[in-house]
Amino acid sequence: MSVELPFQISIPDSKLDLLRQKLALTEFPDELENTGWNYEEAKLNQDLPQFTKDIDVNGFETLNIHYVHQKSSLANAIPLLFVHGWPGSFIEVRKILPLLVQSSPQFPAFHVVALSLPGFGFSEGAHKPGFAPEQYAEVAHNLMLSLGYHEYVTQGGDWGYLITRIIAHKYGGKHSKAWHTNFPLATPLNFSVNPILFLQHLFTPYTAAEKAGIERSKRFEKEGQGYFHEQSTKPQTLGYSLADSPVGLLAWIYEKLATWTDSYPWTDDEVLTWVTIFYFSRAGPAASIRIYYEFIHSANGSQPSSFEPTIPLGVSHFPEELRITPRKFVHSVGNLVFQVEHSTGGHFAAYECPDELVDDLREMFGKQGPAFGVVPGKNGYEQRIRANL
Amino acid sequence: MSSYKIDIPPTALSTLKSRLENAVFPDELEDSGWAYGAPLADIKRLVARWRDGFDWRHEEQKLNAELPQFTRDIEVDGFGTLNIHYVHKKSERGLGIPLLFVHGWPGSFLESRKIVPLLTAGSGDARLPVFDVVALSLPGFGFSEGPKKTGFSFTQYAEVSHKLMLALGYTEYVTQGGDWGASITKEIARRYGGEHSKAWHINLILAGPPATQDPSSYTAIEKDGLARFQEYKRSGNGYYRIQATKPQTLGYSLADSPVGLLAWIYEKLVIWTDAYPWTDDEVLTWVSIYWFSRAGPAASLRIYYEVEHAGQEVGSTNFHIPTIPLGFSHFPKELGRIPKSWYHLVGNVVFEVEHDSGGHFAAHEKPELLVGDLQKMFGKSGPAFGVVLGRNGYDG
Repeated sequence: MSVELPFQISIPDSKLDLLRQKLALTEFPDELENTGWNYEEAKLNQDLPQFTKDIDVNGFETLNIHYVHQKSSLANAIPLLFVHGWPGSFIEVRKILPLLVQSSPQFPAFHVVALSLPGFGFSEGAHKPGFAPEQYAEVAHNLMLSLGYHEYVTQGGDWGYLITRIIAHKYGGKHSKAWHTNFPLATPLNFSVNPILFLQHLFTPYTAAEKAGIERSKRFEKEGQGYFHEQSTKPQTLGYSLADSPVGLLAWIYEKLATWTDSYPWTDDEVLTWVTIFYFSRAGPAASIRIYYEFIHSANGSQPSSFEPTIPLGVSHFPEELRITPRKFVHSVGNLVFQVEHSTGGHFAAYECPDELVDDLREMFGKQGPAFGVVPGKNGYEQRIRANL
Repeated sequence: MSSYKIDIPPTALSTLKSRLENAVFPDELEDSGWAYGAPLADIKRLVARWRDGFDWRHEEQKLNAELPQFTRDIEVDGFGTLNIHYVHKKSERGLGIPLLFVHGWPGSFLESRKIVPLLTAGSGDARLPVFDVVALSLPGFGFSEGPKKTGFSFTQYAEVSHKLMLALGYTEYVTQGGDWGASITKEIARRYGGEHSKAWHINLILAGPPATQDPSSYTAIEKDGLARFQEYKRSGNGYYRIQATKPQTLGYSLADSPVGLLAWIYEKLVIWTDAYPWTDDEVLTWVSIYWFSRAGPAASLRIYYEVEHAGQEVGSTNFHIPTIPLGFSHFPKELGRIPKSWYHLVGNVVFEVEHDSGGHFAAHEKPELLVGDLQKMFGKSGPAFGVVLGRNGYDG
């Protein structure tokens, strides 16, 4: 049984000095030299209770995993695992965390676990080739088990979508009870696989939102996927730049933060905090992009039909997401029981639209919702005290 | 026009050294070899050499001694004047055929280094033609200025090249190109072929596919060439996709980190060549030209973006096919090639050679083979003999 150790982010001064030195060699304005990291670090440590724990991975090594863990004051809150993607991190749980753990008669409460995926944030990265999305799913699942959460639900976007889909497929029913995503990557319908859906799709005109979404997806495919191609084929080559150049790393990530969001009003310090987590990550920024390579090269990884979960699925659609698929396709992603359309918001939903995302989860898992009580004994509400008659 | 000597300022050399001293390396997965990109041991070794032992001044002096270089202002429609750096060496005997050599990415004028003496040599077999060689640094590469506005694509690269030849007094000339050089010389052949460009030779032939194909008719070499290109598109063109869509985003890394730039280019120098025995100093000279380039390394990527957005990406079919004679040399480790039955999409192939070794950087890897091909193509019994009036590569 591995030991949970409390964790505080604490970047050594020598590393901060080297970063300043590198930034001093560029011709950038002075405000970038003083990132105020110590202040941001302290805030993060204050807002997010963090820990580390060794997690075994079948056929691979034991990895030391960093995670945020906050329990609700409500004992039978629903255990929820939040899984980030790239270029995200555990920081994406920052705004939804205080809302999710809230207890109220109006909506369910959650115990929240948000890990740093292996190779991201302050988790160790894999050292051997072949550590594919299935292994990331195993780490996340084993972490939940090790925290005593044998039954839980998940929320994820970006890689978090694929990883929680694998969790739903492999550990669903017995352990994972329901999953929610804001990035429902659906492949075009196939008549032989989904005949009814295929015909429905054929004869249902697209809504204006779907049409706009399809255009957006096409633009993304044409103009926005260069990073994906490089990261999934030559991550080491790119990695030298990301490791050696804070400016290069900043540009590489900032471009996504700006173009993948719905006019989110990033402050400079917000961007720099986000990017600095990558720069000072335990495994280094080059490690985080290997998931793309492993995904493309794994036997099951890039075949969506390899993972067919049956547990209840909830989807939240945000209009500035990278890929918008026609609504009929979404039914092929899983056992869709809950679907919400939003009129604003983009790829980093938990960070851009925390209230909306939390409302969706509260609705999905709430008393009137389709996933109410999926975790036996932990429905997120105060247990009714039986009056002694 | 002025004569040019490469003379990198001492501050640039010391800045490079500082950055190399502050280098931060990523880790690497165990036993991953080349699968994920350039290996860590190679990059660390090259960085250490670049930082401590590599003598840029010595390399610079050698280049200046070997390659007579110049700069000249060239006016480009809609883009103002660009100061262009180029090598220009006349033949040592007879009337050299004016030959424009056009490099690509991640190449440079340096790729002309080994072929210039062979093409211009006065000694040697008098039955072989000689050439006057012009090898420019494309705008944004080497020591040429880069364009300051968007939209600088094949039309403009061809225009600069052509105007340079005219400025040197070569109203008729021939061209040789690989990588982007193949596309740019195709554009030259389209726009200026017949009247000015008289014949062209390439070592990369990609276009199509045509409307109808008969795969059963392809030879083993042709099938292999197509398969190599498919594989390149599947696993080897990540750099192309990012450079063609977000060159600026990538540019920050390549401008700021010599380590990042080294890895980005070194990976291609190795995987695109046919077991070429690069020495560390050879690699570092090649990459230093990018690091010290006049427009900076980020500028060199923009050609991908401009070509993509002008609908001219590599392999696309251009509907006005040049008619002047075309020669093609095939080196087996090139990124790919098309079957003969598709050649009509590229040009009027009158000369073709298959080699059994060599890769993408033919002029650097196999200079004797490439020069031999040009000598055959333009020589007395060749299909392009005498295409340039009054300058057939022989005496009188």
